[in-house]
Amino acid sequence: MPEDSGALSIDFIVGFTIFLLAFIWVVSIIPGLLINLQGFTIDYDAVAYRTGVILVEDPGQVTSQNFISPWESQIDKDFVARFGLAVSRDTPNILSEEKVNRFLCTTVFTYPKDYQEKAIFGDYPYRFNISIRDEERNVPPIGDVLPEGYGYIRRLVKIKGASYATINGTSISPYFNNTDQNVTSHKFSILINTPRLYTDMTDPSYQIDPVRDRILINITSLKSTMSDPNSGINLTSITVVSNTVSTLQYSSIPDTILSLDNTILVLPNKLPQPVSDNISITFSPKYFQEQVYPGLFDKTYYKPIYVNLSFTLNSNSTFLNNSWSSPFDYNYTNVNVAQPQLRDAVVEVAIW
Amino acid sequence: MVRDDTGQLYTIEGLAAALIMIITAFLVVNATSVYTAGDTHINDMQLEALGSDALKMMDVAANRSDAETPLQDIIRTDNSTRFKTMFLNYSNVSGSGPRHDIQFNASYTCRNLDNSTKNVPFISTRNLTGGEHTVRATKWVIVNKPVCSSVTVPRAVLVEVLLWRD
Repeated sequence: MPEDSGALSIDFIVGFTIFLLAFIWVVSIIPGLLINLQGFTIDYDAVAYRTGVILVEDPGQVTSQNFISPWESQIDKDFVARFGLAVSRDTPNILSEEKVNRFLCTTVFTYPKDYQEKAIFGDYPYRFNISIRDEERNVPPIGDVLPEGYGYIRRLVKIKGASYATINGTSISPYFNNTDQNVTSHKFSILINTPRLYTDMTDPSYQIDPVRDRILINITSLKSTMSDPNSGINLTSITVVSNTVSTLQYSSIPDTILSLDNTILVLPNKLPQPVSDNISITFSPKYFQEQVYPGLFDKTYYKPIYVNLSFTLNSNSTFLNNSWSSPFDYNYTNVNVAQPQLRDAVVEVAIW
Repeated sequence: MVRDDTGQLYTIEGLAAALIMIITAFLVVNATSVYTAGDTHINDMQLEALGSDALKMMDVAANRSDAETPLQDIIRTDNSTRFKTMFLNYSNVSGSGPRHDIQFNASYTCRNLDNSTKNVPFISTRNLTGGEHTVRATKWVIVNKPVCSSVTVPRAVLVEVLLWRD
């Protein structure tokens, strides 16, 4: 070619194109390369610390502001935005038993995806082992077997236990001072005065809160209250009354658990049911949130709750009956109510 | 066509040169691991979290009806043995994580009536030689005791624990 000034050599174009393509490729993977700039343990320790703080110091969150129930009451796990085990945001290191139980429920939450999305976060699918060692019971950890190197954090916490009432027929005489009620139909009422429970104890760590914690009522030695112990006892109904609900029927598992003579009655088995000596009633917070106080966002609208138990006897007799006196008050001063207790536990998070 | 081909880079050479450059760049970026100053604080952070958690848990009463928390009781009665047992029980608690052979040095500080501060050494599991790498955990407690003066009024006392791994 006689006139080749200013012409670009083919060789040069090919070589330069290849270089440019490769250079673009290298630049495009630089964010990935930078991961190696961090020491592994630094990242893992930091993630473990963050997960520890989320679990121990935060009450968790649901996906929408419109949900009244907290995350532990959501049946659909997609409504849980973030796990958090603290009783409230003002009480770091004090964990709610309800939240802990729900968190450990691997039948609801899938391992490891849900835990990565709701407790550990980050784009990288970290593997983990989260254990909650409770001095009262053994709970298996969530996660894989620990490898050689991992980041970890150990947090010391207290778990707030549930309160419960024990109504023992022999010692409860002040509550049924109506021995003249020698009839077949009897009624026993239990008062859960939610607004009073909130004002009498403002610290959520020790508060009896039916909307956040489980409530248990054990009624024992029913026969000892009867003038005719041979008469058969039938539990006719359990109704819940508040200003938001007129007569709410007792619900079903898992919101409420009714156990007669230590046998769990699986509703919809309909009442009446014969009882020989004791009754145990458990209310989960979800029952109060969704059925007793439906649609109430604001605690200040909560009103006292009455739980009414109706009995019929086969023959005339005295019985557990406070329809002529005052209801059994589930509060802080009643000696028959075991107050919420804080017990030691350790939360350990390992990340790798 | 280039007539004078001295110093000319041809396709194969160009390819080889490009590859060499890319590989070098890749190796350099990949192999560099920067140990930042922040890394050294990770262990301190873990120990500090543990220490302040232990003090925090000692200052929580198990029951609503408890008149004072274990930590308040310890300071009021000067029960250093109980402090040691409780603190070590919390901080050396065995688990899946690394073993914590923790040593500590505890003291508390309060303000005198003449506005000067007074530091009271409380208990230590080992003497500080100066070589230890310690972290500090603190907790304010209100104690009803004449700690720094003879007057029995509720006083704010700062409990301070220096802790380190053995």
